[in-house]
Formats: sequence, C-alpha cells, structure tokens
Amino acid sequence: MSDLKLRVKDMIIERLKLEGMTPDQIDDGAPLFGDGLGLDSIDALELVLGIEQVFGVKIEDEAAGMKAFKSVQALTDFIAEHAKI
Amino acid sequence: MSEIPAHLPHRYPFLLVDRILEREPGVRVVAEKLVTNGEPYLQGHFQDRPLVPGALLLEMLAQAGGFLEADSLHGSAIFLAGVQDARFRAPAFPGDRLRLEVKAAGAFGGIMKLNGTVSCEGRELCTASLLVKRP
Repeated sequence: MSDLKLRVKDMIIERLKLEGMTPDQIDDGAPLFGDGLGLDSIDALELVLGIEQVFGVKIEDEAAGMKAFKSVQALTDFIAEHAKI
Repeated sequence: MSEIPAHLPHRYPFLLVDRILEREPGVRVVAEKLVTNGEPYLQGHFQDRPLVPGALLLEMLAQAGGFLEADSLHGSAIFLAGVQDARFRAPAFPGDRLRLEVKAAGAFGGIMKLNGTVSCEGRELCTASLLVKRP
C-alpha cells in the first residue's frame, strides 16, 4: 500500500471514529458513500475538514467531492494531485 | 429586536436568542440570551433549584448559528444534524446574561459545522460543535 494511501485510510478511520477498523479492511476501490463504507453527508463534511487539516487540500464544492469520494484510490489520487508539497 | 423573528422561524416559548451583538455571516456570530424566572421550563427544571437544561444551551447555540446565514431563513428552520464534544462545565441560572458565540468551522453538501461557546460574565458554561443541515 502506498504511504499516502495508508495515511488517507488512517485519516478516514480517525476522523470518522471507525473504531476497530484497520486500513487493510478498507477496499481501495469501494465507494466511500452508499454501498461501500456506507458514509453519509455528515461524514462527508468530516472528511472534507480532515483532508484540509491533514493534507492541506481543499475540496471546494460538491462536484470536486463527487470525484474525490468515489473510492479511497480516487481520494488518494485527488490529494496527490492537489497537495502543495 | 425585530430582526430576530424576521430571521428565525422560532417563536415563544422557544425563541432562545434575545439580541445579536456581532454578526459576520458565514464566519462568526455573537448573540445574547437573558435567562429570566419566567422561562416555562424552569418551573419543573427544577422546582427548588431552577437551572437551564444543558440541551437548551445547545439549542441556543443552534439558534445563534442561524444568523451565520446571510439571508433570512424565511420560515424554514436549519435542522440539528449532530452534536459533538459537548461539555457542560457550569449551570446557567435565572438572571444570567448568556453570551452565545458561534464560529463556522466548515460546510459541505448542505451540512455546516459550528463551534459554539456559551459563557456568562467571562465564565465558560458550555462548549460544543454542532452540525446543522442548511435550508
């Protein structure tokens, strides 16, 4: 697992208090909302705030969110693309 | 203050904001609530020792948070969707002038997060983060 992807999964687990879940239990390709991790709109806001705090990347609007929240892989790619490192 | 009922849909006995002291829409609001002996809930909470229920302190913060919206809510409420990290450090009593301070912490997909503090004469009574669903 790439270092960034692991950090993304750790952030998701910590921010959403998915207690007892480990990074390798989160499927890279599964959707974050709906059928995958089953997150809701409140979780979405928590993730947006977490991504900004941990990675310094802003998800400006719902269109960007739709793209970034497709899966952990998509979110990792989104952060890699937008992070100013 | 007439701007308050024009902005919020809440009415007596559940309008829990008396004055807006500072207001920067989308950023920060400071409001005020004077707790009087006439508050209906104090009759039973409690008979011998009236104090404001903690849940109502959260409601006060939520109502103050309504003023983060630039425009009047036009009769539709913002709905409480979550409460995080609520702490009640000291009770509020009749006669207290409560300062309700809310700051916007972020918004996405119609949900907004607010960080709120209720204080009285510089003492912090309650802090909490609220998640609200915007109209």
